[in-house]
Amino acid sequence: MATLRARVMTCLVLAAGVAACTGTTGSEIVAFDAFAAGPADLPPDAAARGLTFTNGKHWTITLTRARLHIGALYLNRSVPISGGQARDCFLPGVYVAQVTTGMDMDALSSALQPFPAPGSGTADQAAMGEVWLTGGRIDQQEDRTTIADVAGTATRGGQSMRFEGTMTIGLNRRNRDVDPARPGARPLCSERIVTQIPTALTPTDGGALVVRVDPRAWFANVDLGELDAVSADSDLRRIPDEAEPAPAGNFYGGVRAAAGYRFEWLAR
Amino acid sequence: MSILPRLVFFASVAATFAVALPANADDPPPAPSADADAEAEGATVTVRGRAPAPSRGASDFNLRVGELSRVPRQNAADLLKLAPGILLTNKGGDGHAEQVFLRGFDAREGQDIEFSAGGVPINEAGNLHGNGYADLHFIIPELVEGLRVVEGPFDPRQGNFAVAGSAAYDLGLARRGLTAKYTQGSFATRRMLVLWGPARESTHTFAGAELFDTDGFGQNRGAKRGSAMGQYEGRLGARGSYRLGTQAYTSQFRSAGVVRADDVASERIGFYDTYDRRQGGDSSRYSVWGDIETRAGDTLLKQQVFFIVRDMRLRENFTGFLLDVQKAQQNPHVQRGDLLDLHVDSQTLGARGSARWRTKALDQTQELELGYFARADRTASSQHRVESSTSVPYLTETDLDSRLGNIGLFGDAGLRPFGWLTFRGGARGDIFTYDVLDRCAQQSVRQPSASNPPGDASCLSQQDASDAGVRYREPHERRGTASIVVMPRGSVLVGPFTGFTASVSLGKGVRSIDPVYINQDLATPFASVEAGEIGMSYARGVGRDVELMARSIFFQTHVDRDLIFSETAGRATLANGTTRTGWVGAVRATGTWFDQAANVTFVRSTFDDTKLLVPYVPDVVVRSDSAIHHELPVRIGQDKLTGALAAGVTYVGRRALPFGQRSDSIFTVDTSASLAWRSFEVALVATNLLDWRYRLSEFNFASDFRSAPQPTLVPGRHFTAGAPRGVFLTLTATLGGT
Repeated sequence: MATLRARVMTCLVLAAGVAACTGTTGSEIVAFDAFAAGPADLPPDAAARGLTFTNGKHWTITLTRARLHIGALYLNRSVPISGGQARDCFLPGVYVAQVTTGMDMDALSSALQPFPAPGSGTADQAAMGEVWLTGGRIDQQEDRTTIADVAGTATRGGQSMRFEGTMTIGLNRRNRDVDPARPGARPLCSERIVTQIPTALTPTDGGALVVRVDPRAWFANVDLGELDAVSADSDLRRIPDEAEPAPAGNFYGGVRAAAGYRFEWLAR
Repeated sequence: MSILPRLVFFASVAATFAVALPANADDPPPAPSADADAEAEGATVTVRGRAPAPSRGASDFNLRVGELSRVPRQNAADLLKLAPGILLTNKGGDGHAEQVFLRGFDAREGQDIEFSAGGVPINEAGNLHGNGYADLHFIIPELVEGLRVVEGPFDPRQGNFAVAGSAAYDLGLARRGLTAKYTQGSFATRRMLVLWGPARESTHTFAGAELFDTDGFGQNRGAKRGSAMGQYEGRLGARGSYRLGTQAYTSQFRSAGVVRADDVASERIGFYDTYDRRQGGDSSRYSVWGDIETRAGDTLLKQQVFFIVRDMRLRENFTGFLLDVQKAQQNPHVQRGDLLDLHVDSQTLGARGSARWRTKALDQTQELELGYFARADRTASSQHRVESSTSVPYLTETDLDSRLGNIGLFGDAGLRPFGWLTFRGGARGDIFTYDVLDRCAQQSVRQPSASNPPGDASCLSQQDASDAGVRYREPHERRGTASIVVMPRGSVLVGPFTGFTASVSLGKGVRSIDPVYINQDLATPFASVEAGEIGMSYARGVGRDVELMARSIFFQTHVDRDLIFSETAGRATLANGTTRTGWVGAVRATGTWFDQAANVTFVRSTFDDTKLLVPYVPDVVVRSDSAIHHELPVRIGQDKLTGALAAGVTYVGRRALPFGQRSDSIFTVDTSASLAWRSFEVALVATNLLDWRYRLSEFNFASDFRSAPQPTLVPGRHFTAGAPRGVFLTLTATLGGT
């Protein structure tokens, strides 16, 4: 009887020990590689011959240079409510993946271009992605880092031109129409974030996050004909690094449009 | 009968016993204080001059410190490790309360354990850092005579915060005379202690004072503190005694806070370093108390009153530069830093009393006890965020002025139909009242005024603008509520049979909710716990000189609203219901030349809704305390040398962390060796003897300490470092005593 009692007690204690040492709190911390690339449907010779397309203003554009500085990537588990209040630049607690070291990428190459440092996150479903276009801290006032650098040719009807442009997001993008009741409603940091990029992926350990950047979207609404030539005897038009004129503003808006970005997940 | 009439009835009865039966000088002297029931069960009981509460079964640990006081301990909180399943951590520095884990509970800094010293409550109701925060640093460890830990809400005397259980420190000084102790050692640590126990007075008449100073290990862990405690015990007629006590404590300390594991791995920061040297705090506590215990016929009467003044400031930064997100109403700004500056200033006035009536029936001792507990707390709490570059506050998050009331009444019966069968139990009713003035009730406006914009002000005096214009409001708001809870508790003890006693205990406990969560007329301003256990204890002498005690307990506990650490709030916040199931084993053997205690706890803690593990709590805790002491065959003059060796060994299994992670395990060995001759003693203490580099606390959360070019917004591993090896030399001299 005493032996039986001892055995039962031993079994119960062992069971308690096994039960205590198992289980999980849910989810998982993951590390992954990160890459940037141009669109997957680029012609193989796009890097050498340029990418030709027609934009919404009926310009046939051949892009020969389309470089983008990406400051960081983030994936969110939730999508902001449409029509809600002005969004905060970031909301601690909603992020499932991050790549915090930036890089310059060539948007005319569909090859995977690695970020200098791997990303990290949790194994939770991401519903939205963000591309941060910044060279310094997201909330600093001035940033002279060239975010986008483009060059190419454009034709429409009988009109033909060369164009080029660089874009920065610093004090030149500061909100000049400040509502005194809400002076912080449109902070510079929100100008630097391309947000609401639809995403449906779950990071896994050892996988890879790819952000594909389509430079065609940058020119979707840019009427290059409205740009002035750099000189009377030149066909070169330069896109100003300002909110005006309209082509410059539309180019800025195109670079910041979610339509130009897509996230993919490559399993290990 | 509704609850209120019952309370009135109990109050009347208790008051009758308390007031109408004064001590009678003609009565015979009080009986020896060792509890008769405990003696019958063969349990180890310390004679304290006061009658201890009856045992509630296998989870009722009356811990005699005895020779195990030789095991190295940093402070009085370390004595808790004598009870099974306890892990202590500290993320806030040497003046910050220890975080206590007990039986699968993350009791935080006392929120889930009812603490008292000499009967005076320690938990701070309304403390913004944690409602029930219990800083034990004011207790001088050498003045702790014993410790009663009840692991579960099984005793009707247990009140607010007794969710995981309760711990009651008994104060006393066995070593009489004047004792002076000086310690010096690693990290420029110095401690000076003076104890005085008048030779002809009881062990409960004492005075003690200590000064402590250390640079701490690594960066930013320095601390200074001073503490003084004194108590006088006198006779009250022939059958009673009284005690008058006072205590003073003040400290200032620095804290290293947490570091990110990835930063340590990449050597951006050292294992023992800090991100923010402004972390730390100040703490003070002053209290007076008085109690009487006397016997009137078959009734033992107790009364105690206490008054506590407490002040605390904490500066902590868990998240770096993460939380100061630009708000629309604010002027444009960069992240200004997340350093929290929390201040709590409180006064507590309270009393407790009881009347225990004993009689003989069925040839057995039968008991009935009625008692009350009452306390009123007035607490002013505020929490600000402080700018990194200038150290000035830029945001007020909380500013509360709280008046909290708690009155508890209990009845406890001990019925013994046979010598081997005891029913103990009763019920406790508590009323909690809240009157909270929130001085910063309006912190954001969706449609602010354009003509009078709120700007960066934290506590606003306008509501949303409307067609009629801006609507003014005062920034403050008062909220109040009250609720009553009745908690049945009971135990059945069967035995002892050849030293074995079986017990079954059930009980319900509560933890009042932080005033910050109070809404007007909130229905139940408390979280409740239901606990049950079945245990077997063995207590018997082995041979002539060895006393052996062993326990085995299976337990289950359910909490309807648990507390989980929130790094953004800097404190524990409310979460869903949780359940804990586990087993505890403990053994203690005491001989003439040795004392050995060991315990092991397995527990599984899960959320009720998801069945996922509760993070941070350890599922395996093993602890051993050992001491051997004997005269040595060496004489100096006429007196022999006495030598002693002691060791404390702790193992904590890998704790569950958020996001499916597990922490590292912890294994530490603390040792001491001492030589004593006449009234002099020299002791060498080594803490973390193996110099194990371990993480005392680990967390998974998002922070941004600017270690990456862009903010780190997804959860990452953080930890607070455990202390490396420390070596300390202590010299002790006792004059004019025993």
